[in-house]
Amino acid sequence: MPILNSVYRHREAGHVLTELVAYRAAGGFAAIEQSIGEMEPDDLLYVFHRSGLRGRGGAGFPMGRKASFLPKDAKLAKYVVCNADESEPGTFKDREIIEMNPFQLIEGMVLAGYAIGADRGYIYIRGEYEHQARVLDAALIAAREAGFLGDNILRSDFSYDITLYRGAGAYICGEETGLLESLEGKRGQPRLKPPFPAVAGLYSSPTLINNVETLSALPPIVTQGADWYAALGPEKSPGTKIFSVSGHVQRPGNYEVVLGETTLRELIYEHAGGLREGHQVKAVWVGGSSVPVLGAMHLDTPLDYESLNAAGTFLGSGGCIVMDDSGCIVRATLRLASFYRHESCGKCTPCREGTNWMERILQRMVDGEGRMEDLELLESLFGRISGKVLCALADGAVAPVASAIKMFREDFVAAVTDGGTPRPAPMSVVEVR
Amino acid sequence: MNADQVRAHIDPIRHEYAEARSLILPALKFAQTEKGHLTREDLEAVGEATGFSAAYVESVASFYDRLYLAPTGARVVSVCVTLSCMLRGADEVWDHLCEREGVSHHGGTSEDGRITIQEAQCLGYCDRAPCIQADAEETKGPFTPGSAAAFVDALRAAPDPHEFWR
Ligand SMILES: Cc1cc2nc3c(=O)[nH]c(=O)nc-3n(C[C@H](O)[C@H](O)[C@H](O)COP(=O)(O)O)c2cc1C
Ligand code: SF4
Repeated sequence: MPILNSVYRHREAGHVLTELVAYRAAGGFAAIEQSIGEMEPDDLLYVFHRSGLRGRGGAGFPMGRKASFLPKDAKLAKYVVCNADESEPGTFKDREIIEMNPFQLIEGMVLAGYAIGADRGYIYIRGEYEHQARVLDAALIAAREAGFLGDNILRSDFSYDITLYRGAGAYICGEETGLLESLEGKRGQPRLKPPFPAVAGLYSSPTLINNVETLSALPPIVTQGADWYAALGPEKSPGTKIFSVSGHVQRPGNYEVVLGETTLRELIYEHAGGLREGHQVKAVWVGGSSVPVLGAMHLDTPLDYESLNAAGTFLGSGGCIVMDDSGCIVRATLRLASFYRHESCGKCTPCREGTNWMERILQRMVDGEGRMEDLELLESLFGRISGKVLCALADGAVAPVASAIKMFREDFVAAVTDGGTPRPAPMSVVEVR
Repeated sequence: MNADQVRAHIDPIRHEYAEARSLILPALKFAQTEKGHLTREDLEAVGEATGFSAAYVESVASFYDRLYLAPTGARVVSVCVTLSCMLRGADEVWDHLCEREGVSHHGGTSEDGRITIQEAQCLGYCDRAPCIQADAEETKGPFTPGSAAAFVDALRAAPDPHEFWR
């Protein structure tokens, strides 16, 4: 139930922390002072490990474990890469970190860099976040001037700087190896794995890639201790997680909650202000759009990795899209299918062609040209796409379609028998702010 | 843009990358700030400044939605049509803008050449759905069809920016 603003320090402070002095006054950079030159890098790595922090970008891999996969050989160039591509539909949590609290991300990247002995860090930010990129540009300059970045950070032996790299519009550059390709000046098409980035990443060097939220979680873990973090929420996946709530809710926005202590119902009804009078929840995509959809019967699921898995979906990025009973699940599913068709990078035939077919079939159902066999045709596609491709985009494309057909089959059947689905009225909005 | 101008932009950041190839994307984005799209000369200038062929540079550029290999309107207006925005009226905004600008429902450039309307995938402003972005610099919302039209009118009347970051 409770909000705990650990990554969102600016909310705790009650004002934006885009000035270095403001971030310092809010306790910022204490983690760097406590660790750089004061702690052995391995001990810092062990703090990350013991905290139980899992990746917040989508896959949920334990952060400390991933960092420990990097070879210890001091002669090898090593890199930290921050994934700020934030393009998963319904996800806008990293945007707020960068806009309001950019120094916490920078501090987290310095901590991660020190722990793995990195030569340099890179922030890969989506091209559409030009405004946020400028906030980061200014923050990086200020951090450098104050001695938190650059040669001999805080007069230690550790030298490390961060480069901001702007993307140019491609969802697939959020996939970690697509991102690396793009950062290397190529088309952003994913690589065959293994080798994983921890072994051969940027310029074939060992590379730690983490999401903005993951890295921004590190400073409080250092100052308040791994034990404090590990005690928050469930044993297996503790900590706080930011959920971006959007769609048919009264108060769309970001909410940072302790994992496992808030249910989906509380997130929607208490934090996000609930639905319009007289409406019920129809469908929820809780972890961005690349996850199986949930229905009203899942509202009492606690928000944590294990509980959401048990409910048949994933925590993903925490981009929680809510649709009430005024919405049309067939049209919503088509809209997501169109997204993946557009964003498939085209490298693997099953994904390139499969996403195209999913969209076409759903489009004709919506248009009233669907056939009863189309449901089986759609279902026959899933197994021909999943597991036969290079990256997880394809599974992400299948998940919302397959789950919607399973959970709301009657709606898809009705689209065929009724000759299509009319466009429902959208939730009206208040004027531009 | 010529190769010297591109060089002046990338030389100060060259040392940040172990391989010069990484400079291609920053160079392309910078070259695009001049006219809002990339011409053959721009691709050649980026190739010369980074040490790669213009053909390779073009193969990279063509991958990214926000690098334009053909002229656009003076301002590019991206209307997010992904699910969160759709649930809040993005389709109504889109239809209205396309009709007013006299472009097909796939988008396009208005006859006066001032405005290009294009569909965008999730822009990360779902808390302000439905949202619209002007080039890559300003994202706003929530819009009604009427307030979206007023936003586009204001863009049409405003002087163009010195640099086009799209
Ligand atoms: C198609 C696709 C898109 C992705 N987009 C993003 C993204 O925008 N941001 C992000 O942090 N991770 C994204 N990921 C996950 C990354 O591949 C990677 O797992 C993540 O950056 C690791 O960081 P974490 O462990 O801190 O979560 C995406 C994955 C896929 C398959
Ligand atoms: S699965 Fe799709 S997005 Fe991923 S590499 Fe293959 S074609 Fe590209």
